[in-house]
Amino acid sequence: MGNKQTTFRDEQFEAYQDCTFFTRKEILRLHGRYRELAPHLVPLDYTNDPDIKLPLTLLINMPELKENPFRDRIVQTFSEDGQGNLSFNDFVDMFSALCESSSRELKTIYAFKIYDFNRDNFICKEDMEKTINKLTKGELTPEEVTLVCDKAIEEADLDGDSKLSFADFENMISKAPDFLSTFHVRI
Amino acid sequence: MTSQLQRQGSAAAVQGTGYTGDQGLPRLRRAPSSQSYQNGPQFNWSPASAGREKAEEGAVEPPKSLRSLPIPMALKRAICQVQQMHVPVLSSLQSWKRSKAKSLSRVRSYIGGFLNYITLWRKSLNKIGGNFGGGVQSYFLFLRFLVVLNFLSFMLIAGFVLIPSIVFRSVASGPMNITGPAECLQYDPNPQGLVKFHNYFLDLLTGTGFMESSYLFYGYYNNTMVAGSDFSYNIPLAYLFTAIFYFAFCLLCITARMGTAFRVAVATGGGAIGSYSRIVFTGWDFGCLGDRAMKLKQKNIIYQLQVDLEEERIKNKAATLTLGQKIFLYSLRIFLSLVAFGLIIAAFFSIFAATNFSQGKTGEVGVLGLFFEYLPSIVITAGNFVVPLLCDQIALLERYDPSITVIVALLRSVFLRMVSLSVLLFTLWNQITCKQRVSAEDCTLCHYNYKSYPCWETRVGQEMYKLALFDLIITIAMLVLVEFPRRMVVDGSSSKLAQWVGRQEFQVPANVLGLVYGQTVVWTGALFCPLLPVINTLKFVIVFYCKKITLFYNCRPATKTFRSTWATAFFLLVLLFGWSLGLLVLIYSMAQIHPSMSCGPFRSLISMWTIVPNSFYNLSQTSQDFLFYLGSQRFSIPLFLFFSVVMCYFIALASVHGKSVNLLKTQLKLEARDKQFLVKQIEELSRTLGVAR
Repeated sequence: MGNKQTTFRDEQFEAYQDCTFFTRKEILRLHGRYRELAPHLVPLDYTNDPDIKLPLTLLINMPELKENPFRDRIVQTFSEDGQGNLSFNDFVDMFSALCESSSRELKTIYAFKIYDFNRDNFICKEDMEKTINKLTKGELTPEEVTLVCDKAIEEADLDGDSKLSFADFENMISKAPDFLSTFHVRI
Repeated sequence: MTSQLQRQGSAAAVQGTGYTGDQGLPRLRRAPSSQSYQNGPQFNWSPASAGREKAEEGAVEPPKSLRSLPIPMALKRAICQVQQMHVPVLSSLQSWKRSKAKSLSRVRSYIGGFLNYITLWRKSLNKIGGNFGGGVQSYFLFLRFLVVLNFLSFMLIAGFVLIPSIVFRSVASGPMNITGPAECLQYDPNPQGLVKFHNYFLDLLTGTGFMESSYLFYGYYNNTMVAGSDFSYNIPLAYLFTAIFYFAFCLLCITARMGTAFRVAVATGGGAIGSYSRIVFTGWDFGCLGDRAMKLKQKNIIYQLQVDLEEERIKNKAATLTLGQKIFLYSLRIFLSLVAFGLIIAAFFSIFAATNFSQGKTGEVGVLGLFFEYLPSIVITAGNFVVPLLCDQIALLERYDPSITVIVALLRSVFLRMVSLSVLLFTLWNQITCKQRVSAEDCTLCHYNYKSYPCWETRVGQEMYKLALFDLIITIAMLVLVEFPRRMVVDGSSSKLAQWVGRQEFQVPANVLGLVYGQTVVWTGALFCPLLPVINTLKFVIVFYCKKITLFYNCRPATKTFRSTWATAFFLLVLLFGWSLGLLVLIYSMAQIHPSMSCGPFRSLISMWTIVPNSFYNLSQTSQDFLFYLGSQRFSIPLFLFFSVVMCYFIALASVHGKSVNLLKTQLKLEARDKQFLVKQIEELSRTLGVAR
């Protein structure tokens, strides 16, 4: 039906391929997914880099994120304003960091940011308790939650300040063999 | 807008601190405390600036390091543009190198995309991983690896043995004449007289009749040695070397794949420590899809945490056991291990008896004959099913830790499967070489039991063929007769018993052992049944689709996870055990037993290996001298010394790395204490200054 409308210019494709772990085809597919979240908001033609952001409520209903207990935190971490509004750049950035070929260091950095609920660059006891409650949806008793929390911090804390800094977190993650395969969203 | 981002980019580069610094970066963080921003995930801005410097020197670093930077996309693109706008002063050689490297990386990404496209079953595996997790996916990845391995082996065998045999059979004269006692040379597998139609079907299942005189089995190949003016092809030599290279090729593939798996397992230190933090932070599979899978994943994590807490309680209790209770526990464990061992020995004895019985009853016709033919396979399969069940119950009684129980049960199953196959082979060999018959004169004439086995290699090949086929039949039968009805009963009825039994779980270890057993059968039988790899390829493809169907329709996701990284390495190790069993069979057949005089490519030789020395002396003198030199001490001793030196180097390197890792860990702890001390001092100073003011 008429001419094939181009979504991106070639320079844009090259820039995306250099800055993310995706190929050309995958970037087009991501654009399709981004567009189908709000077809009336997101234009097909992205050659002029339009400044469009989708709100948090639309993004956490994506099938890949819908069942994830940390979906709010993931979207907030990758948004520029910290409130969860993602532009297409941020959208691609998010899935690139979480994809299969992403590097371990990158994933560790973002995992730390996701689990740090109060954004003070430490995973303290409250952050841990929130994480465990989100994971288990209240199936564990509060005493069990506190016990698990204390044990986890005790295992990972190296510098003895009873909260996890990034160095502690990174050290703990380096010993977890499944981290790369679990911290991975398939899109 | 671009120029503004440019300025921000260069401003941040100049700053050179952690990205949580607040000026000039578009990602705002509300009020980072001055103390804590040093703890934020630091990344070095210097790769970006170093990339720019390196670009001036002509290297091509920027694209790779950009991807791994944890900064927002808009900033990354800005940096990209800045780097492109930086026109470095390069010589023509350097710019040529840069452009070549860039096009090479583009080509590599295209090839990667193409390989991704043609990878077998990629979408199915993604779907399985999304719905059932990494443990189940690792089983299917292992299955795919075996399919590809078998297919490539078949290409090898077809190219060097099968196709030349077909070509030379139609071209060359007949098999070479051989001398020997007349009784040893009698062998006619073709069925005599009128053959009933249903016999064709029975022959398909047992490999006799029309299948015996086909390229499927060893007996049909001739010992043609074509020697033209400029072309010669020695079929027996090709057959032998193809078998050896097939084993070497499989070993190469397995060790290559094991290398990656073990590297990950060793680097993470086995994951023994930090189980709570590991579960909390890496337990949730972010790729999990589906509402049902999500609920089960949650139950999984809760179960794991509760199991860990329970183990902790048990350990605390175990530490308080009295001496008498400890003695009781250990003697109970020894007794139950002996019971398990006794069960396994009983299984072996029944396989031995069944094989002897079946070999004695050859020649029966009809369905009863089919039953007797398949008796060893039936007994092996029954043993492989019953004994692990009993061993699991015994392991529960032994009251080990839950993780040790799994490992103990797994090791027992592996032992059972591998050794039951070797018992079968051992009984066959005994009969072929009359080790335990009363009338040993059966073997004196031809050096093997020519009365019962006119062409013993084909018989061994037929046994392996039957084992492989029976395995496939059992898999399909289990799917149709056990798994589907179970699901229909559980879903249909609402009785308490049905709900308690529940839908089945996909047992990864048991299924993987089944695959390893199937592959071991192929390896032991490949010398005698050259087309067994292609039969196995088809069989594994059918198994893939059967298991996929049963997974999606009949199974529920496991409540206990199966750690996939450790698992892959373990599966490959078990596969290597199977490979060494096949190698043992190959070596013994090639070197010890006299080949049949009435069939096969080695019919005129004392042992299969003697073809190599015989053909060796046909080579030119220089080649002979060269090969003699390679085998002499003058070459092998310096080679051995060289390899010892290289190995010492690697061992020393590994220990140095280990020591430096430990050193860095202690440094990390000391740094943190220093930082705390300094922070305390700052607070004290500010307090005294504040008070003084």
